Amino acid sequence: MNIQYKKGVLELCVLSLLKKHDCYGYEISEYLSKHIDIADGTVYPILRKLKSDGLLTTYMQEESGGPPRKYYSLTKLGRETYEKEREEYLNFAKRVEALLEDDE
Amino acid sequence: MTKNEFLTKLADELKKNNIPDYDDIVAEYEQHFAFKMADGYSEEEIAAKLGNPAVLASQFESINQDKKSAGKKATTIIGLSFIDIFAGAFFVLLIAWEIIMAAFSLCSLAVAVCLFGEISPLSLIPPMPYGPALVFGISLTALALLTAVGCIYFAAFIRQLMRSFGRFHHNTIAAASGNAILPSIAIYPRLPAKTNRRIRTIALISLVLFASSFVLGMIISMILSGSLEFWHIWGWFGYKIGN
Repeated sequence: MNIQYKKGVLELCVLSLLKKHDCYGYEISEYLSKHIDIADGTVYPILRKLKSDGLLTTYMQEESGGPPRKYYSLTKLGRETYEKEREEYLNFAKRVEALLEDDE
Repeated sequence: MTKNEFLTKLADELKKNNIPDYDDIVAEYEQHFAFKMADGYSEEEIAAKLGNPAVLASQFESINQDKKSAGKKATTIIGLSFIDIFAGAFFVLLIAWEIIMAAFSLCSLAVAVCLFGEISPLSLIPPMPYGPALVFGISLTALALLTAVGCIYFAAFIRQLMRSFGRFHHNTIAAASGNAILPSIAIYPRLPAKTNRRIRTIALISLVLFASSFVLGMIISMILSGSLEFWHIWGWFGYKIGN
């Protein structure tokens, strides 16, 4: 599948995961690569972009027996953006699906 | 590609693309390796699954860094340095108090030792019979113990306060420059419950001992000297009444 398709949607997937609970980078990477076929490394640039857009914040959490982990958490803006874009995407996907199935 | 090769390549590419705090990014990939290796994957497998470091580095390129943050950071640092001056003075004050308390504790102990041993260096210890001297000695030993415990707790408090302030300092700068924020540290020292209990018990016992033996010493002295103002009878201030 074309990587360009996936990229825009991946941001949405990351936001949807973080809406459920805060995660550290590796957790997000594992979650995405389990569901969508992408290179593991792709998620980190996405996280960074979302953070610089102000949709995410990070904090360090000290774990027992290991270095502190960087957790990602949704900001208020991130939450609102997610709700809006989710709606838009689902609408869009429904129309595209209808269009493509019409082709048969 | 091994872990080191991958990370070095990534760091080089990020540097080439002028990505600020590239070490932060590399650290994240390094952690990815650590997690995967704990799951039993080989370095080569992990690197292959991550993708080409040059391609990954180029994906960071499109992210424009917040340029406003530079000015914001400068203001924050100026504000913080003013806070630092006051906080610094405050810490000096606290440490001075700690030193005074320690000196007081040592002095009490020294006087107690003099009273027990009936020694009076430079005739500093006022003359009195050995009975009340012994009781006052116990009283001062208890006082020394009480202040010593106070000293220890206060030292822990100062240390914790400084650590807490340091963390606040770090986080304020981190927030202004968009870096990750660490959890804040509590102001009060969190000693183990056992230590806490022990400190409280020692403080309480020494306080009671100090107060009761002090009063007892006074009473014994009054009875022995036959006067409420026994210090005049024993000539504590260089003169005697009634002689």
